[in-house]
Amino acid sequence: MASVAEVKAAIEAAVAQVNEGQAAIQAASEKLAQAAQTMAAALDGSGHELVGAAQAALAQADTELREGLAATLTAVERAQTYAAGI
Amino acid sequence: MSLIQDLGARLQAAGADLPVGELVAALDKLRASAALLSWVRQQSADPLGVPELSGAIEHLEHAAYALHVVQDSVSGYLAAIGLGAEPAPEARPTPPEPVEPVAPGAPGTTSAAPAPRLRRWWAERVAYLTDGAPADPATTTISSDELLRSVARHTRAGDRTGLRRALTGAPAPAGLGLSALAPALLHRLASDLLGHEPRPADLPALTRTAREPVLALLPKLPPALVDTLLAQVCRVPRPADPVPPHPADTAVTSGVLVGVLLRRLGRDPEALAA
Repeated sequence: MASVAEVKAAIEAAVAQVNEGQAAIQAASEKLAQAAQTMAAALDGSGHELVGAAQAALAQADTELREGLAATLTAVERAQTYAAGI
Repeated sequence: MSLIQDLGARLQAAGADLPVGELVAALDKLRASAALLSWVRQQSADPLGVPELSGAIEHLEHAAYALHVVQDSVSGYLAAIGLGAEPAPEARPTPPEPVEPVAPGAPGTTSAAPAPRLRRWWAERVAYLTDGAPADPATTTISSDELLRSVARHTRAGDRTGLRRALTGAPAPAGLGLSALAPALLHRLASDLLGHEPRPADLPALTRTAREPVLALLPKLPPALVDTLLAQVCRVPRPADPVPPHPADTAVTSGVLVGVLLRRLGRDPEALAA
């Protein structure tokens, strides 16, 4: 059976991993925005079906990253609240 | 360079610069965290943020798929306008830096206050996995990347006693940090061993190569965990285990797998520091 100290330490380690993941998500978002800008400038005026697919997928990736980041924030809050209450 | 060639070059560069590596790194971190929280959750009725973390992982997996759609669409478009001989270069997942800055107290740090109570169950679990006598953990400090090299050295030598000593002597956060360091390395080493990015079809060959050497060093390890980790390397989806693995199991097995692949490649573990 784990002690309170062990549980808190494990949660602390888990939160640290999430924090590093959040930094990677932020970096991914910034890089994605740059790529989207480059592609938008290059593909401006194209009505090609695959261009539309690429742009839609870029937008979806951006949305997923934002929602993923938001979910990690909630997860960290929940884990820290639990750790503070034991 | 013609206008159309310039357009193709810009699109190829943008496609190659999509943040696939960053996404893989983020997924690795979140999965490691989820494994740890799932283990804690076994001892608590509180969800501890695990459902939210699972949701985050799902969002990132969708984002990764969307990036592949972007790459495929750009390649297809370039082909359609007559520039398709060279597909957009695939963005290779970026392995984590061997030494990366981490927050104080995070896995892999050599903080002066490394959660001492966490060490006991870590050391006990390592002793169990390696089928050795539980020993009092030493008080040495070591970072996760140093520990990974040490684990790889002992794995390469087939030295189970040395492996147990190295792992039990490490602070638990450094040990757990192996879970975050190993996935990208495993993917890279498997790519080098296979000669291409690991695919689902490569899983049987990779399993034949790595499964037995891992279990020889970790005789008490539930064998399914090796299969799960190798499936992740080959991007083979597997149903979630109803009982989450012990976080030490994932960390230790990941580190030993790195050592096994290094041995098959004939590489020195010290090369990991390069």
